Amino acid sequence: MPGMLADSGGAIVPFSGDPNHAAPPPPPPPVRPIRHGVAPPISRVFVSWSSGNLLQVACLRPPGPVAAGAEEVAGSVVEVNLAVANGSAEVEEQEIDEAEMRRIEYGSVPAFALLQSRKNALADAAAMQHMHSVSEHAEWWQYVLQYSKTIGKLLGSPDSLPGLMIEDPRAILKVRERPTSLKAAWELLEIFYVDKNLHSWLPERLVDWLADYDSLLTKMDGTVHSKLNDFQKKLINLQVVENDPDYWNGLSAALSVGWLDVVVNMLRFHGSYQLDQMDNRETENGLVEAVAVLVSTMPRMRPDLPTGKLGQCCTSRPDFIKAWEKWRGQVSKLECSAFWIQCGHQKTRDGLKNLLHIMMGNIKDLTAATSHWLELFASHFLYIRPFTVGFEGMHHLAQKCIQLKPSSGNSGLTGLLNGILSENPEVVLAECTKTFGPWMVTHSMELLAADNEYADIMLHEERPNFGGLSIEELHRLVYAQVLSSHSLTWQIAPTYLSSCLNQGLGLLEILLLKQPIQDNRQVLKTLELCRLYELENVSTNIMKVAGIYHWKHGRKGTGVYWFQQAHDKVRLDRIAQQLFERIGKSVTDDNFKQWEGLLELLGSDIGSAGGLEFLHRYRDFKRSLQQALEGRTGEAARQTVEFLIQLMRNPSTPQRFWLPLLHDSVRLLNCKPCPLLNVTETTLLLNKLQELSMAKLRPDFCTNHLPSHALSSVRLALASNLARAILEEP
Amino acid sequence: MAGDSPSFRRHPLPFSIDLLRWLPSSTSSARLIAAAVHDPTIPASSHLHLLSLPDPASPLASLPLPSRPTALRCSRTVLAAATSSGSLHLLPSSFDTDSVISIPSGAGFHVGPVRGLDCGGEEWVTAGEDGRVHLVSDGGDGRVVARRVWDGKGMLGYETARWASSAEFATGGAGCGVQWWDRRKGNAVVAQCKGIWGRGVAAGIVHSIDIHPSRKHICVVGGSSGAIFAWDLRWPQQPIPLSGVGLHETAEPVCESEVWEVLFDNYTQSSDIISAASTRILPVMMCSEDGILAIVEQDERPLELLAEPCAINSFDIDPQNPSDVVCALEWESIGVLTRGRDAMVAE
Repeated sequence: MPGMLADSGGAIVPFSGDPNHAAPPPPPPPVRPIRHGVAPPISRVFVSWSSGNLLQVACLRPPGPVAAGAEEVAGSVVEVNLAVANGSAEVEEQEIDEAEMRRIEYGSVPAFALLQSRKNALADAAAMQHMHSVSEHAEWWQYVLQYSKTIGKLLGSPDSLPGLMIEDPRAILKVRERPTSLKAAWELLEIFYVDKNLHSWLPERLVDWLADYDSLLTKMDGTVHSKLNDFQKKLINLQVVENDPDYWNGLSAALSVGWLDVVVNMLRFHGSYQLDQMDNRETENGLVEAVAVLVSTMPRMRPDLPTGKLGQCCTSRPDFIKAWEKWRGQVSKLECSAFWIQCGHQKTRDGLKNLLHIMMGNIKDLTAATSHWLELFASHFLYIRPFTVGFEGMHHLAQKCIQLKPSSGNSGLTGLLNGILSENPEVVLAECTKTFGPWMVTHSMELLAADNEYADIMLHEERPNFGGLSIEELHRLVYAQVLSSHSLTWQIAPTYLSSCLNQGLGLLEILLLKQPIQDNRQVLKTLELCRLYELENVSTNIMKVAGIYHWKHGRKGTGVYWFQQAHDKVRLDRIAQQLFERIGKSVTDDNFKQWEGLLELLGSDIGSAGGLEFLHRYRDFKRSLQQALEGRTGEAARQTVEFLIQLMRNPSTPQRFWLPLLHDSVRLLNCKPCPLLNVTETTLLLNKLQELSMAKLRPDFCTNHLPSHALSSVRLALASNLARAILEEP
Repeated sequence: MAGDSPSFRRHPLPFSIDLLRWLPSSTSSARLIAAAVHDPTIPASSHLHLLSLPDPASPLASLPLPSRPTALRCSRTVLAAATSSGSLHLLPSSFDTDSVISIPSGAGFHVGPVRGLDCGGEEWVTAGEDGRVHLVSDGGDGRVVARRVWDGKGMLGYETARWASSAEFATGGAGCGVQWWDRRKGNAVVAQCKGIWGRGVAAGIVHSIDIHPSRKHICVVGGSSGAIFAWDLRWPQQPIPLSGVGLHETAEPVCESEVWEVLFDNYTQSSDIISAASTRILPVMMCSEDGILAIVEQDERPLELLAEPCAINSFDIDPQNPSDVVCALEWESIGVLTRGRDAMVAE
């Protein structure tokens, strides 16, 4: 990785691009100072990627004579989180912080999964009915709309603040949750691409949208929202509002974008409403009230209005035209009325007239009243061309508005709207990527393709230059990578990977195999995903890796458990062999309990290891011996001897265990008054003992750690037992 | 009672919640929860938080833990948390973080995750994945003493522990099923049960055990592959399946993934009150990796309370107000379920 060490500050400067390719001057590289606490000079810097966006930077001093102070640090490793570094992303991140974004990511999973399963079901049905695509189905767009509404709700509802608060009568703008551009962009896509219910009143819907998100349009230039906000702050100190030009500016601005409730509310601030002035300013007050009434009865081409909003709804076009003509007539009648002459207050007269001109659709006044081109755009729908339909007409109008009000700061939302209106899904997608990130792109593609054949083809066409991926898959994979890099969200990445037909499954396997296996719960969570996606090979592999990890760290039980779950015969056999060796060395030690558990774990289903069969018998013998020695009951002793004989008879019992076995039983043989073994049994044991003495001479004989007199004590015990057995024999 | 129908609310929090327990509340207004949380993106961010309902957004108090919390229990007076590094932290249930007593991990205590933790009156039992079992008791003058009961030396790994009486407790783990310990018999395992596991597997992992205070001879056990069974010490060879494998074929398992926790549910009335005297297993609530919170009962269809899109890692029934259940969801949120009396009586 290219990097250079800044002289004294100790900063890492990432830079990109070919220095020879200087055509467009690249933006200055963002500089991130890091605190490493290593005193200069620094001779080496290592940089490597850690998980996610973390960069590990190691700074080392030159090796040399140990400095005077022992506190001097020779080097240090610091982790740099690059996610916070990015200049433009930082602004967005303040709007939605990381935890909030994760909440959105989690919440969108069920909606996305539901839509995918519906799509698959419809695709099956479409294949049967010989249809070409899912979007031909009548119900499809409704599914997408439902999906869009669910996600929209997740992004925050505009009126989520409780209505219990006592409203300030002098509040111009209602206090609500701070709108986010993510939500604004999502709604914009929903309005234009999905909601077919809106098609007849799209312009009004756009006006509503603007009312919700006007404050987000630009950060540099003013908006209607900022104008009203400024006036609101000023309002507290104003005695006579109608003398302030900002009052009238605010009114005309609010009216131009159709915030009728705000206008009517503000008109009521007018001084002529005050009781002590009523008498002198009767005409003036009548005019203000007349304008207020006209504003509140403005006909609007829409099915309904949310509570608190003003206007007169007209559902059908003829109704609207009728109402519109009538209303316009009233407006012009008032404009020509003779009462204006009697109105003494100059500013009121001009201000009200201006409002009337706006209502009459005077383009010059509209342009003056609005700040941003989108506001001008909305005002055209309201007062000049209420029937604008179709993308072409809107796009043309938008271009005109941009010419009239060029804006310097592009918030991403305007770019998005431009892309939508110019019917250019590529631009829309690019804006989404650039401004709103992978989450937005992945989830908004469903909206783009809902009812747009071109976008559908554009997104789903497999492209050889992407290695056969479609754009849709590419973006989903990118998003899944983002999710995978975070240890809290990786579990939702499989939902997206599994919807990628070409490379999703391969990446899913890699993702699952890469998960840490140190923690059993984590392993179980990974295995659960393997089960869901029927990846048995992967789960077997994970179990084996987990098994080795635990075995190596001394948690033998857990290790064996995982090997068993993975049906890993090879490793289990090897473990059995190891165990066998170890017990063979120290069989007389009474640390019996320690490996007993392991033997228990290895269980009976591992019959292939010959030694294990012996160990199980040996375990039974040891247990019974212990009982016999503790309890001294005849039955237990008899049982023990039986086990002993079985073990000695069994050819699978290794020779090196013979003596230890017999030595273990010496106490038992000696302590009983009546012989436990009959003559033939004793003879068998004595024969084995003899065989053992002979074998001692052979070079491959392996010694055990028994005391030297073991052999003779066994021989003595057996001999005395034999003597008693012969006496007992009938 | 809040209402007649169950209501459920999710509270998103900006960190991952591993475990949750209701705390005994002294005042009637505050409903307090202890939550063991961590954020893997930030080093040293494991905490024990004191949250209050109905708005758990910001913790009222918090205690930093040395590593990720793995077990959390609350007795009447003491709240205890164990961690994945093997330490134990005891604090008064009033959440007075100044008077915390800790036992550090290491050779003298546990090494590795301690998942088994329970309070039996005077003593706490801890059982770790390292195979060690300790009894922790008050040593006077603000110190605690940990006494090793058993060192499995890694041959067994324990996942859970539960007291039955002051002399007996049960443990469970990977591959070893359930073990019953009796202190009067030399702190030894006196009974053992392999359990009932599915899918052609001989052994599974026991994640959770609960023992009803009025029936101390019965353990109810939840573990791998949706297995929930009851183990009656009077018939130790015949565990009773409550869900998953072992039931007759028509019975659908309530879940097929890991059952993380089981608790006897005092709130649900047994459907068969007359015979409930001794033979039947009382209703049991469980939560699972596939997002199910349900009540299972012997020979009854399970009653599903929640089916979340993400795992439910932990839950707790409020002992003072058993209609309320709080659960820790995988997607960094906690859920609060309030049950109404009418809706919850099993059909």
